Amino acid sequence: MAKVGVYVCHCGLNIAGVVDVEKVVEHAESLPDVAIAKHYAYMCSETGQSMIQEDIKKHNLDRIVVAACSPRMHEETFRKTVAEARLNPYLLEVVNLREQCSWPHSDEPENATEKARELVTMGVARVKFLEPLEKRRISVEKNVLVVGGGIAGIQASLDLADAGFKVCLVEKAPSIGGRMAQLDKTFPTLDCSACILTPKMVDVAKHPNIELLTNTEVTCVSGFVGNYEVTAVKKSRYVDEDRCIGCELCTQVCPVKVPDKINEGLSETRAISIYSPHAVPKVAIINPTYCLRLKYNACGKCVDVCEAKAINFEQQPKTIQFKVGGIILAVGSEVFDASKMPEFGYGRFKNVISNIEFERISDASGPTGGKIICPQNGEPPKSVVFIQCVGSRDKRFHEYCCRVGCMVSLKQAILAREKLGRNADVYICFNDLRAFGKGYEEFYERARGLDINFIAGLPSDIRSAADGSLYSDVYDRGINKLLEIHADLVVLANGLVPNSDFDKISELFRVSRSADGFLLEAHPKLRPLESPTAGIFLAGTCQGPKDIPDTVAQASGAASKAIDLLSSGEIELEPLRAVVNKDSCSGCRICESVCPYNAVEMKTEEINGVENLRAEVVEAMCQGCGLCASACPAGAIEMQHYTDEQVLAQVYAASLKTEARGGSPI
Amino acid sequence: MSLIDLMSMAKPNLKSREKFLARLGGTELVNCFQCMKCTSGCTSLKLLELKPHEITKLVRLGFVDELASSDIIWACATCLKCVQRCPQKASPYHVIMALRNLAVEREANVPEAYLKAVSQILETGVTAPVQKVTTKKMEVFDRESLKLPKINAPKESFQSTFLKALEEKQ
Repeated sequence: MAKVGVYVCHCGLNIAGVVDVEKVVEHAESLPDVAIAKHYAYMCSETGQSMIQEDIKKHNLDRIVVAACSPRMHEETFRKTVAEARLNPYLLEVVNLREQCSWPHSDEPENATEKARELVTMGVARVKFLEPLEKRRISVEKNVLVVGGGIAGIQASLDLADAGFKVCLVEKAPSIGGRMAQLDKTFPTLDCSACILTPKMVDVAKHPNIELLTNTEVTCVSGFVGNYEVTAVKKSRYVDEDRCIGCELCTQVCPVKVPDKINEGLSETRAISIYSPHAVPKVAIINPTYCLRLKYNACGKCVDVCEAKAINFEQQPKTIQFKVGGIILAVGSEVFDASKMPEFGYGRFKNVISNIEFERISDASGPTGGKIICPQNGEPPKSVVFIQCVGSRDKRFHEYCCRVGCMVSLKQAILAREKLGRNADVYICFNDLRAFGKGYEEFYERARGLDINFIAGLPSDIRSAADGSLYSDVYDRGINKLLEIHADLVVLANGLVPNSDFDKISELFRVSRSADGFLLEAHPKLRPLESPTAGIFLAGTCQGPKDIPDTVAQASGAASKAIDLLSSGEIELEPLRAVVNKDSCSGCRICESVCPYNAVEMKTEEINGVENLRAEVVEAMCQGCGLCASACPAGAIEMQHYTDEQVLAQVYAASLKTEARGGSPI
Repeated sequence: MSLIDLMSMAKPNLKSREKFLARLGGTELVNCFQCMKCTSGCTSLKLLELKPHEITKLVRLGFVDELASSDIIWACATCLKCVQRCPQKASPYHVIMALRNLAVEREANVPEAYLKAVSQILETGVTAPVQKVTTKKMEVFDRESLKLPKINAPKESFQSTFLKALEEKQ
C-alpha cells in the first residue's frame, strides 16, 4: 500500500483566487491511499518545501503529489525537495492547477474547483504506479557551433573561445560582421560602429580556439545535447582563401558591374570583389550569377592580374562534418521591406529611403563617403522627415514594437543635423517615442536640444507635387493642427522582421517559433537564452528585435549557458527513455524509422536455433520523446515514467467521474 | 465612467456606449492608439474639420449620444482611406456609419439632403434626379435631346421593398 501525500499550492491568489483549495484538500483526503493532504500559500517557498520534507519523515510517505503551477516551472524544484528527504525524486507527480485550471477558468470558480479535484484524483491514481528511477550521465563534446557571424555570434564565439572552448563559427555571407557592419554610428554614445566592431572581427579571425567558416551554411544537424553531429557546406568562392591577399587588383580590372549588397544596392561593385571594406577574412569572392567566365567561359581578366594565383574557377563546394556539444543560434533578422506599404511610396519615389539605406549614405565608407544626399539629384536635402513605426505596431504586417526604430531615427536625426548644419529642417513623425534603455532618454533630450522637430502624429501618405518634390500632410495631436511638410528626403523607420529562412532553420535545429515569427525561447522570463531543445541556445535578434547592447548581453549570456552545460565534460539526462520488451518485439523496424535521434538499433538474436531481429534502444542517445512507443504496432516499447500502467490509471480515474455523471468513459 | 467633459459639462452615457459597441461587434473597430494616420489623410478634414481619431476616442469614452446628434458625423466623404491605412485595423468609417444609423433611428439632426435623397429614391428609383447638362460651348442637353430612353417611375413593389428594407435595417 502506498502512502501518498497531497500538497495543494495557493500560488498567492493565482490558484486560490479561483479554486477553492480547502475543498480540493478535503477531496484529496477522501481518496484511497492518501495519508495526508495540505494546502499552503507558496509550496515552492522554503516553508512549503520543508513542510513536505517533514511530512515524508514523520508519516513515512512514499509518494508525493504537488498540485501547483506547470511542471515546466517547478517540477525540478520539488524533485530536489523530495530527494533531500531521501525519497526517489521520480516518485513525485506535479498536477498543474495554474496554467491548466485557474488561469483559463478564472471566470468560473466552481467549475475550476471541480476540475482541480478531478486533476488531483488523476494525479493520485498515477503516482501510485510510479517507479524509482536514476538519472543518466553521458559524456559531451567540449566544443560549440555558433551559427551566424553578426555581433551576437562574434561576442558568443569570443566568450567561449576565451573560456577555453573550441568554437566553430559558421557565417553564410562571405564576411562576418552582420548587420552592425552596415551601421554608421551607434546610439546612445555616437561611437562609430566600425570602430567597435572591426577589432572584434579581427579577434575572431586570429583566435586559436575559433575556426571561422565564412560563405558556409549548415545543412544537417543530428544527434542530441552534448553530442550534435553537424554537416555544413562551404560554397564555392572561386578564390583560394589561403592565397588571396586582398589587394583588390582583380576588382579594378573586372568589367562586370554588380549592385553592392553591403551598400543595400545604392552603389555598384564588380563581379569579383571583397564583400566590404572591413571584411574578415579579407578575401575576394566571385559572384557566379554575373561573372562572364563562369557564365560564358569568357573574360578572365582577373586571372591575368592576380599575382597570388588565387583565382580558381574549378573550385567546388566543400562538405564539412564535425561534432559539437552545444549550438548557439545567432542568425539575426531582416529589415522590413517598406514597399509592402504602398502609401509611403518606397520604391516609387527615389527620395524615400529606408533607415538602413540612410546608415549607408551617412557612413564614411558608404557610397557617398558619408555625405548625406538625396538619391534622386545628389544634392544635400534641405529638409529630412523621419516616419516611425513602418511595418511594426501594425496589424497588417507585424504587431510587435521593433524596439530599435525610435532610437535609430533619433540617432539619424542627430547625424543629419550635424552633417547638414543648422539650415536644414529635421522632423520626426512619431506615434509613441520610446527611449527606454540606459542613457536613451538623455539621448532623446540631446536631440530636442539640437532643434529637431517632433511631430506627434503619423502621416497618412507621402505624395509628390507637380514639380516632383515630396510632401506630406500630418495632423499633430499636440497642437491640433494639420501640417503640410515638404521633404527633400524621407527616411522610413523600418522595423526588424523574422528572417525569411527561419522555416528552414527551425526545421534544421528543431527549434520552434513564437507567434511573432521569431525563434522561441524556453521561457520568456526565466530561460530567455535557451531554446526548448536542450543544448541549443539563442543569441541576438533571431529571438526578437534587439539593439546592440541587448544583443551583446544575450550573446554573452548564451555563451555562459553553453559553458555551464559543457564545462564538466559530462551532463545528466532525465531517465525518461524507451524500453523494449524483447519478447513482444517482432522486428518490424518501424521504431527504427521514426526515431529522430537514431537511438534504435536492430540486433539479431538466436532463440531456439531461430534467428530473430530485435530492436534495442541505445540509452545514451534516447531522448525519451516517445515516438517509437506510440508507433510500435506490437506495443512492445514502453516509456519509463510514462508506462501504459501509469497513463491508463490516470485515464481510468478521469473516466470514472465522467461515467458517474452519465457520460460515456472515453 | 468617472469622468466629465469640463468644456461642455457632458458626462459619458455608459448604456448607449455598451449598446453602440454591441452594434459594432465589440471594441475591435475602435481599437485605436491615436497615431493620427486617419486624420492626417482625412478627405473631409480640411473643409469640414472631421477628425476620425476624435470620433473613435469619443466613442471609447462613452460620448455616443453627443456624437449621434452632432453635425460632424455627416461630414465623412466615405473615401475609405482610414480603413485601408489604419495600422490597428480599426475603422473610423464603420464607426461613423453606425453613428449615422443611430442618428436616423433617434430622428436626431439628420441633414435634410440625406432625407431628400431617400424620398428621391422612393419617387424616382435613382439616387440623383435627372438633370440637364450644359457643355463648355453652352449647349444644353437632356435625355430626350440625346435620344436616351425615358426613366420611368419605379413600380409600387420597389417602393414597398425599399421601405421594408429600411425598416429591417433599423
